[in-house]
Amino acid sequence: MFLIPHAQRLGLRFLEKSGKNLIIEMPYNPELEGLPDSGMMANGAITTLLDTALGAAVYDHFDSYRKIVTLDLRVDYFEKPQPFSAVIVKTRCLKIGDQIVFVQGDAYCGDNSTVIAHGMAVFSHAEMTMGAA
Amino acid sequence: MIADFLSPLRNTPEFDQSLDISPYAGLMGFRLRRQDGRLTTVMPYHADLIGSPFPPVLHGGTIAALMEMAALMQLLWDRKINYIPKTIDITIDYLRSGQPQDCFARGHVFRQGRRFATLHVQAWQADTDKPVATAMVHFQLTAQG
Repeated sequence: MFLIPHAQRLGLRFLEKSGKNLIIEMPYNPELEGLPDSGMMANGAITTLLDTALGAAVYDHFDSYRKIVTLDLRVDYFEKPQPFSAVIVKTRCLKIGDQIVFVQGDAYCGDNSTVIAHGMAVFSHAEMTMGAA
Repeated sequence: MIADFLSPLRNTPEFDQSLDISPYAGLMGFRLRRQDGRLTTVMPYHADLIGSPFPPVLHGGTIAALMEMAALMQLLWDRKINYIPKTIDITIDYLRSGQPQDCFARGHVFRQGRRFATLHVQAWQADTDKPVATAMVHFQLTAQG
């Protein structure tokens, strides 16, 4: 994850792994506010956190490095994020198929147990071939 | 605040304006452009947008964020809404990997009722006819901060 330039720019960091589930954090950063001085991180940043975390969950599932491509992503925004709070995502792989992985994740603010957003993505996976775009 | 930003632009036939009234949009480098009477939201390429370095492709999240912004801007522009409506959900179909180049997105209001609006967004790069992604976005229109 730390090799992903955009994830670095958003300050994303891996927190822990429980079983197959990853927990990834986006610390509060005023640069990521949707509206100035609101303290609330923009939807776009939360969407990117979800996309990154779900992708990481898929990578993590495989022992070898595979080519992973997002086919689709849906994000439901349940609640406004809490002001000045980090957002964390907990991932869950629903189904690992031959070519397709279904994965979902819940986003929370800090220690709060209220889910503020839910992401659901479908990824394809394939053997890595050198030079493949 | 958003009304103060858009109002002076309405009588400007062509513009290319930074969206840095939002800190996040500023970090992303988003711009709002009007050309030939149409509105486009632009994400100029920079290295921080990369999601996978070898070969370099744009992070999918950046394209999603660009498309949500394009939907919001189109809705505010078309419907003269002077507050930021709440985004209910966004569904993105990724069609091609995003190249390390500028990315563009344009929204279209499919339907707007009293309470909800549905927009469709298309994102492209060098070739308008080869979209990198499409998205559906729903907004809730009840007035709020």
